[in-house]
Amino acid sequence: MTVLHAKSDIDHRHGHERLEEDVVALFERFHAPLLRYLASCGVPFPDGEEVIQEVFLSLFQHLQSGKSRENLAGWLFRVAHNLALKRRHRIRRDFDARTGAAGENQAVDRQPTPEDQVVSAQAQQRLLAVVRALPEQDRRCLSLRAEGLRYREIAEILGMSLGAVSLSLSRSLARITRSAER
Amino acid sequence: MKHEDPHLSDQQLLLSLEGELPARDEKLVRAHLDACWACRARSKQLDDTIAGFVRTYRDDLDPHLPPVAGPKALLRAQLDQLSEGGHAAPFHLPGPSAWMLAAGIVAVCALGLLLFTSGRNPEPRGLVVSSPDSTLTPGATLLASRLAVCAQRNVKNKAVPADLQRAVFREYGIQGADPRAYEVDYLVTPALGGADDIHNLWPHSHLSTVWNAEVKDALEDRLRQMVCEGSLELAEAQHDIAANWIAAYKKYFHTDHPLPEHAGTNFR
Repeated sequence: MTVLHAKSDIDHRHGHERLEEDVVALFERFHAPLLRYLASCGVPFPDGEEVIQEVFLSLFQHLQSGKSRENLAGWLFRVAHNLALKRRHRIRRDFDARTGAAGENQAVDRQPTPEDQVVSAQAQQRLLAVVRALPEQDRRCLSLRAEGLRYREIAEILGMSLGAVSLSLSRSLARITRSAER
Repeated sequence: MKHEDPHLSDQQLLLSLEGELPARDEKLVRAHLDACWACRARSKQLDDTIAGFVRTYRDDLDPHLPPVAGPKALLRAQLDQLSEGGHAAPFHLPGPSAWMLAAGIVAVCALGLLLFTSGRNPEPRGLVVSSPDSTLTPGATLLASRLAVCAQRNVKNKAVPADLQRAVFREYGIQGADPRAYEVDYLVTPALGGADDIHNLWPHSHLSTVWNAEVKDALEDRLRQMVCEGSLELAEAQHDIAANWIAAYKKYFHTDHPLPEHAGTNFR
């Protein structure tokens, strides 16, 4: 069947295709950072994947409506963060039902392999234990900073002041440093 | 900047390391560091802690990250779907039901991703195939609602193009066998929203297996009936049949063996 399109339709389609390519390119670039951030917030990878799909569908809508392309990294993390919070109740409930154990620190379901156990140095395990014991907001600050976000972006994503971000990071790093000294 | 304490605070040191201090304060901190070994050592310690944290953070998570290819393909499919829906009219955010639907589809694809770990180039295997290889055939679904699925009048699986059939045989290492011995079957049937995609196709043997294509057809009919009656979520039906169709048959027919009326001519 042949379908004829008006020129405006074709232009619209070409515009859509370009936008789709932009969104897919951003998806490739930010898929791993977002998944890591969500995991560090206690969102298991399968749920993280769902969140990320929603984030990028929203991004498509955001860009299609002609809104700003400035600081898209911050935008992506902020939307992912908000969506993850909304889903967290369900994720926790499902996780607790699966494992019978509460606690977000174990929410990323990973079985350490023998290789993992050999490779993981004691210091690394200690560091992870310290990080997991940090208050939730401090952990998020650390993860976002590790993903390359600047203080101002972290403050926007988490709804904190710049000073609070700075204090959170220095407090967390001091704790980690102390644990390494022991 | 206050200087009651002879040394800089961790916060000041960190802000300096991060390039987050205003220029004037940065100059003062630099001057202090030039003169103070203790603060310089502390600054180095904080820097080392950052490096250690980043390394551990990545080492802990990166080996477990799923590949991006599957989610990327799913995103493209969803964007295309949006494009079709929003082409003539201004773009609208899908409503809650669409999001739930997308989530269901993602769940099926996520299952596929978990299983799809080692590429699509296996060693040749035996010729009797009653279950798909999950690394080759994790299942794939279209963005279709329960209403759309149940509105389909023709629920027969459409014929798989010959070149696609050949590709399926090739990846399963089946060469030179009689194609009539197999049905290149959809893992998630199109009658349940399954996609016309190689990741959703496998060579289901008609020969010498209890769990043959006729038995699976009966399961597909049963699941579709349950979905359309509203007693089973479409996403759950897709998930169950993609994860293990034989287990799904046992679950939904409450039996460990194919029922005689489903076993077809081969179950005799």
